[in-house]
Amino acid sequence: MEDFEALVRRHQDAIFAFALNLTGDHAEADDVAQEAFVRAWRAYGGYDDERRETLKERPWLHRIALNVFRNRLRRPIPVELREESAAAPPAREPERVVLRNAARDQLRRHLLALPRPYREAVVLRHVQGLPYADAALVLGVPVGTVKSNCHRGLRRLQERLGGLTEVS
Amino acid sequence: MTSQIEQQLRELGDERAPATLLPSVLAKLQGAESYFDLPTEIGTAFVIHGPEGISAVHVADGEEQLWARLGFRMERREPPVELRDRVAAALAGRPVELRFDLHRLTPFERDVLQKALEIPRGEVRTYGWIAREIGRPRAVRAVGTALAKNPIPLFIPCHRVVRSDGSIGQYGCGGPVNKRRLLLHEGVPESALGRTLAV
Repeated sequence: MEDFEALVRRHQDAIFAFALNLTGDHAEADDVAQEAFVRAWRAYGGYDDERRETLKERPWLHRIALNVFRNRLRRPIPVELREESAAAPPAREPERVVLRNAARDQLRRHLLALPRPYREAVVLRHVQGLPYADAALVLGVPVGTVKSNCHRGLRRLQERLGGLTEVS
Repeated sequence: MTSQIEQQLRELGDERAPATLLPSVLAKLQGAESYFDLPTEIGTAFVIHGPEGISAVHVADGEEQLWARLGFRMERREPPVELRDRVAAALAGRPVELRFDLHRLTPFERDVLQKALEIPRGEVRTYGWIAREIGRPRAVRAVGTALAKNPIPLFIPCHRVVRSDGSIGQYGCGGPVNKRRLLLHEGVPESALGRTLAV
């Protein structure tokens, strides 16, 4: 990691998206992402050269962010997406974008309602696009577990979203 | 349907981090800690300190090298005069109390470093001695690893720990040459440093 600032720039969108899809809340996601990068920097200071050279940045940062998220779950945090969040878009927004945002919010709401093991697996694999092997590294579970949790999570989403209007 | 959901899930990942994220992270890193430097027997030591005490020491050729190791440009800030005096006194071997911020280490690593602090200037101990003293006599290798990760070299004297066969062992701040130089400077007799020290 020749430059920590460059590392943050490379990964900040992905780690923020990860945190947002775990927490469902922008401010909370911002906090989780910030803390994850601060922890990443501190952890990096304690690594020897070999570990630094073999570090896979993307799964490493996702794992730190996941730990931050899980630690914060121990505190009582209201995680709720309000129904009205998609109901009052800015007036000038084109209808198609409004529809798309509404569908995104609906999907995110159902994602957040999944049992946590399913949600974490689905977010890592299907939202963040990590390969199964990297998702397994992040979660610290066998690849087979990630696959079955993704499968179950997707099936539940499919059941809940059966009537989801297709948006393009 | 599944592939449609997968496509929509992928779109959920299409987010932009707030523009304030990077500045906030850097402010947290920089706000808490700063550094000052002072000359030592083996080069310039950059002492990083924060509200909880000294958290790291880097022996480096200059600020550029320090920043490269840290990964960002940490702010240099003059410490309170009292802290600078204590740090200089500690380097000169005078008994002063320094506060170390070791909260990022594991309990085992902290035990190892605390024990190393007890080795008097001018003397050496073995890795096995530390392992026995902290009640983990079989963890000799782990002791070596913990000492290698010592974030505060010079002040937490990992250089006073040598191998049981009399060889000097590794040293993070410039290798065995600097370890030997430090020990001689602290008054360890050359004869006590073993035959394998001629590096």
